[in-house]
Amino acid sequence: MAGFLKILFRNLLEGPSTDPFPLGETFSPERIRGTVRIDPELCMGCGMCRYSCTAGAINIRHREDGTGYTISVWQDSCCLCASCRHYCPTGAITIDNDWHHAHVEADKYGMLEQQTITYEPCSHCGTLIRPIPLPLARKLYAHNTTLDPDVIRHLCPKCRQIEDAKRNACHLPAHGERRAHDDSVAASAAPVKK
Amino acid sequence: MQEIIKGRPALIDALTGDSGSPAAVHHSTDAYGNAYHWFKLPQPRRLTQAAARLKEAGARLCMISAYNRHQLSEQQQEICYHFELEGVIYNLTVNLGSEWPSVPSITPLFANADWHEREMMELYAIRVEGHPDPRRLFLDEELDAGVLNEAVPLSVMMNGACTTDLWERILKDRGNMA
Amino acid sequence: MSTPTTFQMPLGPVHVALEEPVYFHLTVDGEIIRKVELTSGHVHRGMEALASQRNLIQNTTLTERVCSLCSNSHSFTYCMAVENVLGIVIPPRARYLRVMAEEIKRVASHLFNTAIQAHIIGYKSLFMHVMEVREMMQDIKETVYGNRMNLASNCIGGVKCDVEPRHFDYILSMLDKVEPAVDEIRDIYDNDPMLLGRTRGLGLLPFEDAVRLGVVGPVARGSGITHDVRKDSPYAAYPELEFDVIHRDGCCVNSRTLVRLDEVFQSFRIIRQCCEKCPDGPVTAPMNQIHPAEACARSEAPRGEVFYYIRTNDTDMPARLKWRVPSYMNWEALGVMMRDCTVADVALITNSIDPCVSCTER
Repeated sequence: MAGFLKILFRNLLEGPSTDPFPLGETFSPERIRGTVRIDPELCMGCGMCRYSCTAGAINIRHREDGTGYTISVWQDSCCLCASCRHYCPTGAITIDNDWHHAHVEADKYGMLEQQTITYEPCSHCGTLIRPIPLPLARKLYAHNTTLDPDVIRHLCPKCRQIEDAKRNACHLPAHGERRAHDDSVAASAAPVKK
Repeated sequence: MQEIIKGRPALIDALTGDSGSPAAVHHSTDAYGNAYHWFKLPQPRRLTQAAARLKEAGARLCMISAYNRHQLSEQQQEICYHFELEGVIYNLTVNLGSEWPSVPSITPLFANADWHEREMMELYAIRVEGHPDPRRLFLDEELDAGVLNEAVPLSVMMNGACTTDLWERILKDRGNMA
Repeated sequence: MSTPTTFQMPLGPVHVALEEPVYFHLTVDGEIIRKVELTSGHVHRGMEALASQRNLIQNTTLTERVCSLCSNSHSFTYCMAVENVLGIVIPPRARYLRVMAEEIKRVASHLFNTAIQAHIIGYKSLFMHVMEVREMMQDIKETVYGNRMNLASNCIGGVKCDVEPRHFDYILSMLDKVEPAVDEIRDIYDNDPMLLGRTRGLGLLPFEDAVRLGVVGPVARGSGITHDVRKDSPYAAYPELEFDVIHRDGCCVNSRTLVRLDEVFQSFRIIRQCCEKCPDGPVTAPMNQIHPAEACARSEAPRGEVFYYIRTNDTDMPARLKWRVPSYMNWEALGVMMRDCTVADVALITNSIDPCVSCTER
């Protein structure tokens, strides 16, 4: 008993250990998972986030006229498991530490992180495409100095193929040569992440 | 047949004998070198004998998994009994006939099989012969046995967040608010 | 005319020990319990059916939500089962990070159970103090992993959340604060006459009954069974780490509590070793092709052995995913523990098996 009395007095002297929230600030570490954010510059609309989302909180809707798509994350379904962030191949999804989600019932459908990505015409043939995000294009063509990533990213896959062939930019591995796993190239749908 | 990493050879031999043929037995290990032995018993009635052998050896029942082979497009029910002895897992698989699925109870041998057997009775409608206390475990008496063989309404409800209806409402309402 | 000597007494289903529903039918003779029967199923959610409607990646998140206190053990064991079935070998760094997350959760879980015991006894100031000490572990989880309960650390093939060097330093600095505080708490639970008077010799589960009922975890180790999956069939980084399996022969509520508190110190040892030894390198291994197969995996959660069985087909959804939680094996032991105890002891004894109802019923 005496042992605990000592602890009790020490705790009394130290004063309350709770934070004065909501009147004051409270402990919110940098890595706390608060809100999912989508970077419209990086999102390619591949749907890997939607595939890995257990809660079904992610929706990708293509515009009927084919001019782009809208990606939405409904915060009220999101369980912040960070699977979307982990499996996103372009790093478009981040989770910031804003955990202030209390809201009234009427606002529930507004709890949405939504980004609309508009397609652009291929700089060569004019077909509507999602241009490759610049950081991704830089990564993909890192080993090729003859290609300007900022130019090639505005080409549609067909024109890109033709362009590649024209410049003889394709480097195919020699017969029997097995390339070691190269992280700079998205080799497969396998979840590899640095 | 791959080399057996761990386990009691005499017990493995005896259980292989219960399985009838060596083809019904296989052995596996995980990435850390732990051994798993899988025995497929030809008839449910062989179970009592095999379980008694494990009981005698001092094994502990870990879990019983019932499942149906619908998704492998076979109308069959199987039960897998997982036992542990000295860190090695012994799995006994029993295939049940489709018309009247029934299996002998091992609760008299392993007291902790009680709940597992009651659970497979209510979720898969498997008849367990000789269970000392065949009451319902989790589900109410009013529900039919074997719900896991069919659709589960609760999970349809729980999937609510994924429905297209809900997304229609979210996206529409968002439009109105903007 | 003779009056009956025993009566039926219902207890529950609301909040018998923890805020979870379980319904006891007690046969009492005056104040003395003669027979215990229990009814559960109030929180049966059909999670095994849900699991067979989701793909393998989604199920990592689903299984983490089976239970809150041992959430990490579920995703850990589930991922091991998937890795066993697909033949994935996880990188060394991931093995250490998985163990570290698991042990941090174990410390928090054991301290929680210990605190609830003080709460049930009515020793509220001790309850508050233990919870405050536990709060430091919660801060670790929040700072390093980003959530107080669901760490979301595991993924198939490794871990989602890499731990940076500054976090290792932070964890070590927090452990230096928590360890002396837990040492004080342990001393109180071992020596305080009020706590001992209430818990020592209560809720006896003799060794033979413990073996017969196949109990697991601290309940088994409090009855002298030296069973611990981390030692019996080592997984992840446990083969390379030093720790002892704690066991006691008291078979009572108090010995189960002391097993938990002593295990907390073993967990501190393991976390420190992880911080020191954790190798550099990748934290995930690539996925393998899914083929029809079956596999199982088990691990030692705070409450005992967790067992997963998975059966895959040619699709990305499991044909069957079945798991058994430690509490599932421990409920029936209550019948033995409560025999000849008084009605007032029911909550205390129930708490001593560290029950998890939502885990049990899934």
